[in-house]
Amino acid sequence: MDELKIGVYICNCGTNIAKVVDCDAVVEASSSLPGVAVAQPYQYMCSNPGQEMIVADIKEHGLNRVVVAACSPRMHEPTFRKALQKAGVNPYFLEMANIREQCSWVHHDRDTATEKAMALTRAAVLRVARHEPLERRSVDMCPNTLVLGGGISGMSGALDLADAGGKVYIVERENHLGGNVARVDLTAPYLDSAHDMLTERITRVVEHPNIDVLLESEVESVEGFVGNFQARIRSKVDGDVSDQTVDVGSVIVATGYKEFDAGRITHYGYGKLPNVITSFELEKMLRGGRLETKEGGAPQYVAIVHCVGSRNLEFHTYCSRVCCMTALKYAHEIKAAVPDCYVSDIYIDMHAFGKGHEDFYRRSSEVKTLFLMYEKNDYPVIRKAGPKDDCEMLIEVNEKLSGETIEIPADLVVLMVGMEARDDAEEVARLVNISCDKDRWFIESHPKLDPVATTTDGIFIAGACQYPKDIPDSVAQARAAAARILARIARGKLEVDAVFAEVDEDRCSGCRICNQLCPYAAIEYDGEKRRSHVISALCKACGACVAACPSSAITARHFTDAQIFAQIEGVLA
Amino acid sequence: MTFEPTIVGFLCNWCSYTGADLAGTSRIQYAPNVRVIRVMCSARIDPTFVLKALHDGADGVLICGCHPGDCHYSEGNYKMMRRYPLLKKLLADYGIEEDRVRLEWVSASEGQRFANIVNDMTERVRALGPSPVKMALARDMAER
Repeated sequence: MDELKIGVYICNCGTNIAKVVDCDAVVEASSSLPGVAVAQPYQYMCSNPGQEMIVADIKEHGLNRVVVAACSPRMHEPTFRKALQKAGVNPYFLEMANIREQCSWVHHDRDTATEKAMALTRAAVLRVARHEPLERRSVDMCPNTLVLGGGISGMSGALDLADAGGKVYIVERENHLGGNVARVDLTAPYLDSAHDMLTERITRVVEHPNIDVLLESEVESVEGFVGNFQARIRSKVDGDVSDQTVDVGSVIVATGYKEFDAGRITHYGYGKLPNVITSFELEKMLRGGRLETKEGGAPQYVAIVHCVGSRNLEFHTYCSRVCCMTALKYAHEIKAAVPDCYVSDIYIDMHAFGKGHEDFYRRSSEVKTLFLMYEKNDYPVIRKAGPKDDCEMLIEVNEKLSGETIEIPADLVVLMVGMEARDDAEEVARLVNISCDKDRWFIESHPKLDPVATTTDGIFIAGACQYPKDIPDSVAQARAAAARILARIARGKLEVDAVFAEVDEDRCSGCRICNQLCPYAAIEYDGEKRRSHVISALCKACGACVAACPSSAITARHFTDAQIFAQIEGVLA
Repeated sequence: MTFEPTIVGFLCNWCSYTGADLAGTSRIQYAPNVRVIRVMCSARIDPTFVLKALHDGADGVLICGCHPGDCHYSEGNYKMMRRYPLLKKLLADYGIEEDRVRLEWVSASEGQRFANIVNDMTERVRALGPSPVKMALARDMAER
């Protein structure tokens, strides 16, 4: 082995790391560690110039090991491995120290955070000195895809994949396709029929030779890894339970959302006042072609209350993004059904950010809609009207723009219920090993640059299960997920980690403890030699056998005892 | 000055390490005392890692894996779970207090849970004071 020449790079990540961690001090501390030839800070190590810096230093200083102290290795380890490879160094001669997600983002005291960053970087330096060159393995990419959810997102992603020739399994819990869009009448801002849009999708999906639609079905388990998952699906059609296991290379999670339960807000009288209904209940009336109060008459006054369950600290702090335009759509639909009806919109802010939305807002304000603005958390008060009033209810609003308290009549009050994550979002997240945020929306790999992938390779997310989204955004995300998957299918092969276990046959006593322990039956016993050996293609590198071997005869490549001991010494030095 | 413990954390790659990363992306603040070492699965954690960490000066060791039933490798966490009581028995025989070594399950979506565990453990180990192993080794060195 040549003399160790380690390059250490401390990323500032703009100010993400540098504002809490004294990066120069970490550079200083790292430069005197054994084997370190170069130690440098840089603004953004993952940028092209950052990677070029590593490549140039490898060539100039003959570096044979690299440590990057930056974000999580789950984020940029592949990026930096590629940089090493480009410079002709084995990509496994890299080690990352996670000084962003597990340091600067979670601590605020500069001294202790800097000290921790130094310890993590030192551990990486000591570890990388013990790294060994490894060759990556190539595995087949299964061209089949599993889609969780048969809504507009799931179907749109599935069609692109199936059109390209791959087999797609759509697993839908309900007994029909369409998801939440099937509950909608017209769509904003062009007032197209949701039904027509869905019919086109559903017909194509159902008739597509490459798509298997499994209704009243749920995915029980997903095992394996990118390119090679096995999914167990349970179907309960008309009470008959049947199970099947399918091989897929990728998974799109498109499980959608559920609407906010208006009953959780007591002050709007939902559930008590019969003519206070939710937006979805109004959709149902509109789809049925009958707009009427509970008493059976046509409403003279309809009031639409925005942001129900959204944009407040008590329920959901986020904006549900589709309700404002949906509310404007109602003004058109209500006027079409009952031409002399008075419609009022009681809103906090009008969010009209999408294509065509601002024009739609202008057109809607021309159809004689009364707009009343209320202050966040200063809710309008709805009460039953008296016998002398010519309406069902009265609504009192502290109108923000005029500064006056205004009372308006209403026969029908429509609550614009927001979107929220489905009750079983966390269960689904565990099923495919992805993460949920504080509101239980699924988390994307990168909020801006990688909004469809997740932290688990091969698992993609699309539609409103990630965050409230309208139909165009949901479809765009689903088709983007399909494109990501197709890029991999087109290559046919996937490079997977070179990490697996190896048995040193000279040390193996043939006790066979490891044979039983391996969940993949990847360890074989050779009766003639009386030794065990690992079938590397089957090994998934969990390391269970390594820790259990009483003779210490098994090595976990890239997670050897020596490497982990070096890390322990590093964090504690 | 109050005593600040140093705790070594062994986290499985798929659930717990991702959960700890999530605490970061969610900007959840927690005690800076845990230094994390990533392993692929909690089943990889050889009891000697824990002993080595205590020998080298750790005041505590935190082991985190996927929740039972959720292991990326089906049942690696059960292997850790079975190894753990034996390790704890050994540590008790050595006079190492119960709270210094801890096994917890943290999923990829439990950033807050990870932060809570780190805070709670840091507090408990801080209350215990420096590790008796560290103290004994220091005395040993002084006597030589």
